[in-house]
Amino acid sequence: MSDSIDLGLRVVDRQLLDSEERRCGKVDDLALEGGPGEALEVIAILSGPDVWRARAGLVGRLAAWVGRGGRIRIPWKDVAEIDVNVRLSKRAQDLGLGHGDDRLRPFIAKIPDADR
Amino acid sequence: MKIFQVALGILAAIGGFVDIGDLVFNVSAGATFGYQLLWVVVIGVVGIIVYSEMCGRVAAISGKAVFDAVRERLGFKVGLMALVSAQVVNLMTLTAEIGGVAICLQLLSGLPYRSLIVIAGIAIAIVVWVTSFDWIERIFGYGGLCLLVFAVAAVKLDPIWSQVGHGFVPGMQTQNPTLYAYFVIGLLGAALTPYEVYFYSSGGVEEQWGPKDLGLNKANAMIGYGLGGFLSLALMIVGGSLFLVKGIEPEFLGSIALGAEVPLGQIGLLLAIVGILFAVSGAAIDTLFSGAYNLAQFLGWEWGRYRAQTGAPRFTVTWLVLLVLALGAVMTGVDPVQLTEFAVIFSAVALPLTYIPILLVANDRSYMREYVNGRLANTLGLIYLLVIVVVALAAVPLLVLTNVGQG
Repeated sequence: MSDSIDLGLRVVDRQLLDSEERRCGKVDDLALEGGPGEALEVIAILSGPDVWRARAGLVGRLAAWVGRGGRIRIPWKDVAEIDVNVRLSKRAQDLGLGHGDDRLRPFIAKIPDADR
Repeated sequence: MKIFQVALGILAAIGGFVDIGDLVFNVSAGATFGYQLLWVVVIGVVGIIVYSEMCGRVAAISGKAVFDAVRERLGFKVGLMALVSAQVVNLMTLTAEIGGVAICLQLLSGLPYRSLIVIAGIAIAIVVWVTSFDWIERIFGYGGLCLLVFAVAAVKLDPIWSQVGHGFVPGMQTQNPTLYAYFVIGLLGAALTPYEVYFYSSGGVEEQWGPKDLGLNKANAMIGYGLGGFLSLALMIVGGSLFLVKGIEPEFLGSIALGAEVPLGQIGLLLAIVGILFAVSGAAIDTLFSGAYNLAQFLGWEWGRYRAQTGAPRFTVTWLVLLVLALGAVMTGVDPVQLTEFAVIFSAVALPLTYIPILLVANDRSYMREYVNGRLANTLGLIYLLVIVVVALAAVPLLVLTNVGQG
């Protein structure tokens, strides 16, 4: 990784991969910290339908409503690497990500032959 | 062995090229304007080659499928609009293809249409659930090769070849330039089918393509789609030398099959129906998956058909839901041929929203390294950007002005 990175182009809207290469959401927004006159610091990645509310006006609010809320905060220290994806250093479950897939899995598993 | 496998892949691509949109638009274009619009097919086929080669290359080098790129380059808001429009068109196409499957089954069996819709839906679900991806591609791709009967039919109908030749030179001899323009848009829309590209690029990511697969990607795009386009030409020639001459309007899928029966008899008819059946079934499956790929890629869900269904639960649920929605829509009795026309025209409207992000990513050196678009890819890429934007802007006005191609 180079010293500087364009957060808007290289981080926001990128795919999140957990430590086991599982796709577990997108970088929906970033949480920045720093008062007036201070340098801004990225402190967390925000992911989940609730984050869309602030990003896309009416469309975002509608999408957030359809997606039924949910906002996950991933501390910036848990980011392992940024290449074409944003790679995390922990497992999705431990960060609160990938709930949607985990919730549905038992139902899908009941259908014969679903594990092939 | 390697070459053999590549050849098999290309054969599948040829058989998989034609879908209900190509069948409807190419035959009706021939039935309305004879061979005059053959040049449009060439432009459309080169367009799909350019677009899919770029998507395949992006998939191979960056591991990104189309809707990953859309989300990244257009952001959430505009990207969401691209997603919604793609999904609406996708569902319309899926509905039309399933309707087409049921029609073919009806022609073959004589059973009632509605029960065949249910049978078609269940069959598609089972095939998708138990068959591996490679086999799906092969079964339907090779089955679709039966459509080559239309190429034989085109020759057998003995068209005036000098007139056919003239069709490759743009020109217009008609009292109805608006209808002519409508068909130009429709033929381009039918050739540049976006779901094929979503499916193709996602497949590349699933098969974990890398730089070594770029040759395969080029071959698939150029030879597979190129020869697939040859089938589109054959369909239009059949339309021009049979339907136009006899004054038949190919309003039903069954009448398209007549194009092979008249010159070749029963066996021609049978091959045509079986070919159409495989082509639209394969297209239905591609469309079904494209819808699930798009949503999962946009939202960052786990996706893929190479993993078990339990490996990507939301992806699985998405295609199941799409299948049920489409089956419900076919059950309303909507006419698949009419719906196809709308689906093709609206897909042309939405095309720039997915084409532009791919063009941008294919030029991004930080992703693509030495595999960024070269001069040829960019020249063609920009020319087609212009074509696609013009087509998108003209599509709906022409749809209205011609009363959905009624003239």
